[in-house]
Amino acid sequence: MEQAVHLDGITKRFPGVVANDDVDLAVEKGTVHALLGENGAGKTTLMNVLYGLYQPTEGTVNVHGETQQFDSPRDAIDEGVGMIHQHFMLVDPMTVTENITLGNEPRKWLGLTVDSEQSRKQVRELSERYGFDVDPDARIEDVGVGVQQRVEILKALYRGADVLILDEPTAVLTPQEVEDLFRVLEELTDQGKTIIFITHKLGEAMEAADEITVLREGKNVGTVPADDITREELAEMMVGREVLLDLDRDPAEPGRSILDVEDLVVEDDRGVRAVDGISLEVRAGEVLGIAGVDGNGQSELVEAITGLQMPDEGTITYDDVDRTTDSRRERIEAGLAYIPEDRQERGLVMDFDLVENGLLGSQHAADYTSKGRIDWNHTRDHAEEIIEEYDVRPPDADAHAKSLSGGNQQKFVVGREFARDPRLVVASHPTRGVDVGSMEFIHDQINALREAGRAVLLISSNLDEVQSLSDRLAVVYEGEIVDIVDPERVTEEQLGLLMAGQQPDAVPTIAADGEGHQ
Amino acid sequence: MTNDSAMDRLLSASGRLFIAAAAFLTLAVLAGFGLLAPASTPGQIFWVLASKSTLSSTLRLSVPIVLAALGGIFAEKSGIINIGLEGLLIISAFAAIFGADATGSLWLGFLIGIVASTLLAAVFAVVCIEFRADQIIAGLAVWLIALGLAPFASQVFYGGPNTSNVGTFDTITVPALADIPFFGALFDASPAVYIMFLAVAASWYVLNRTTFGRWVRAAGENPKALDTAGVDVSRVRYAAVLLSGVLSGMGGAALAINIGQFTGNGPTMVNGKGFIAIVAYLFGNYNPVGALLSTTLFAGLDAVQLRLQTADVIAVPDSLVQTIPFVAVIVVLALVGKTRLPEAAGEHYESGEE
Repeated sequence: MEQAVHLDGITKRFPGVVANDDVDLAVEKGTVHALLGENGAGKTTLMNVLYGLYQPTEGTVNVHGETQQFDSPRDAIDEGVGMIHQHFMLVDPMTVTENITLGNEPRKWLGLTVDSEQSRKQVRELSERYGFDVDPDARIEDVGVGVQQRVEILKALYRGADVLILDEPTAVLTPQEVEDLFRVLEELTDQGKTIIFITHKLGEAMEAADEITVLREGKNVGTVPADDITREELAEMMVGREVLLDLDRDPAEPGRSILDVEDLVVEDDRGVRAVDGISLEVRAGEVLGIAGVDGNGQSELVEAITGLQMPDEGTITYDDVDRTTDSRRERIEAGLAYIPEDRQERGLVMDFDLVENGLLGSQHAADYTSKGRIDWNHTRDHAEEIIEEYDVRPPDADAHAKSLSGGNQQKFVVGREFARDPRLVVASHPTRGVDVGSMEFIHDQINALREAGRAVLLISSNLDEVQSLSDRLAVVYEGEIVDIVDPERVTEEQLGLLMAGQQPDAVPTIAADGEGHQ
Repeated sequence: MTNDSAMDRLLSASGRLFIAAAAFLTLAVLAGFGLLAPASTPGQIFWVLASKSTLSSTLRLSVPIVLAALGGIFAEKSGIINIGLEGLLIISAFAAIFGADATGSLWLGFLIGIVASTLLAAVFAVVCIEFRADQIIAGLAVWLIALGLAPFASQVFYGGPNTSNVGTFDTITVPALADIPFFGALFDASPAVYIMFLAVAASWYVLNRTTFGRWVRAAGENPKALDTAGVDVSRVRYAAVLLSGVLSGMGGAALAINIGQFTGNGPTMVNGKGFIAIVAYLFGNYNPVGALLSTTLFAGLDAVQLRLQTADVIAVPDSLVQTIPFVAVIVVLALVGKTRLPEAAGEHYESGEE
């Protein structure tokens, strides 16, 4: 077999960091190769070297058997290497055709004018050749993420790419779109293209790739065929130690009630009752999970409990004090911690450094202020403690939040919220988009809170997560709690039916006192 | 997401439609009065509106605003908000008169005005693109520099804030067509008016049909997409800002040569036209034709306002009549609501930065 790409001894150093350390990578022509690793393992850096965005400190890049010196992506494109970034490089108000041909427009009339007929024809031909279902005249802002990704792939193909690098291509896709993408990748390799895709998801690497290369802390840990390796082995390669994909823990010993929600009704922006009469209770030392398909009132429930939105009816009680109309600040002072579902929108200010981000939510607390001014020394110590305790990488309090990987951003948010020593934690999708190592760590932290007698309300659309962490599991459907079940005994099938609003037989329900019964 | 943007477009379209309908209706009512009762106040206003000289002064007032607005469109579409248009108009107005005076040729003066404005725009571009200055502050600096420099130069060369008179362009008159009522003004106008119409058409074509126009739009919406496609974002932005200097230079030079001298008292003869140009292209939603139409609305009201002051039609203090165009602009802006700014407008872009 012919090698499409061969990276030989690539080392890439940044000031203070070795992102890639003597990495070899060989990819055979016409195959799908997965580059697997945790966030910050150096996967994207390595691919940026191949794509000419970075120049390697040491080592050589070989494409189609020839050593190449790529000074810019332009050079890489000329040699047939294309990259589809995690954040799409598309111009939203322009059409599919305009985006695909951008910078390489067919021209007419002495090269002054874009030949739009010709552009459209070329794009249509290309799209048909690879079986892509893309309308050349649609505007990017009007099409879904899955189509946008195909436009990115077409853009690379239009420029003559033989080797396609995809950076976390599935992060933004729905399961159905992921299936479509994998079919597209298969079609591309059938026609002789070579695919390298970066991922931190074990399952996807095993499903879509022919070979998997695992990176850890900038080093190549090994390349294995996707067919004869198990999830556990891969996880161990990624993390460097055995990973407990299942938690082992003591039964809950719930204490008194910490959060009490009675007959809560929350209307969404359009006046629809998104939360339609929910009552629930979370006690000290237990995790109450909320499972359900996204958009069944979870966001509104969380916003009402955390004080981001005022409920229209019902009461919310913390520690026997009615806090239905309390402000965010009053709730934080009452011992509430909140891990928002979107860390970049609500958890962090991306342009702030970690010192400033660590202060968020505590800016009124006496510890952090002196005579009306912020005590920056204390704030810095606080941020450094979070970084140390929660293993945030790189360990630099002056780094801007946006320079961190998603997993490390999330660890910092979790660390900041847990550092308040809360009595009640509302965790909304706490591990969305984080790698397996960070996920395990966050799960351990949630368990530790439970052991310490705190109350945790956990909302997640990841069934494995809510099942393994919760003591009781409430299933929501159209703004109501359909049932509260025993997460250990309920089957995935029963959960699926409950989440679809049906009532299956023999569901192991569970009462508030923790006594399970059929 | 997609629904929102479609909705936004509909709403902004309906706002513009509403204004157009309201203007048309008012005009129809006035026309009714004009035909049935020419002596009544609304009737008199109609005849003021429908006169050839109103259209001709509307066009004359439009020239500097439209040309500066076209320049603003190119700069802002490429991601550089150029609020220094006012300064570019001032510097080119003075330079054109000075050049015409020195060379003895109005057309050479016109060219010298363009060169001066382009040079100042180049300074602005370097400061914004190379040295990453805040575009708003740099734009204000351009205005303040010109506001100080032009009257000062006038003081040095002419001994006062006003220059001497160098004469004006002869009008170009198309025989027969110039005699058409009202619209005849289109065929009996200063060359600057024709230049303005040509510039609008050319700008529309360049923005929408050429590769350069496409790159300009991409540079303002998602510079990274353009960069990864292998086009140098900085070069595109330099070109766009220089173009805004050229176009504004044409506007300022035309303004001054139209009158024959530069007057530098107070806000100078430019008197806010550069800022109105910004409103005009925003109201026109970055479309050169839209900018032309919104400018004619504003300049038309200004022309009517001037005529009403002299015609003595209504018993309202002149100073109140003078506010008509400004009130109209505020109403228009309030009704139009959202104009969609280019996504990356005002943001610095450095290739290779994450």
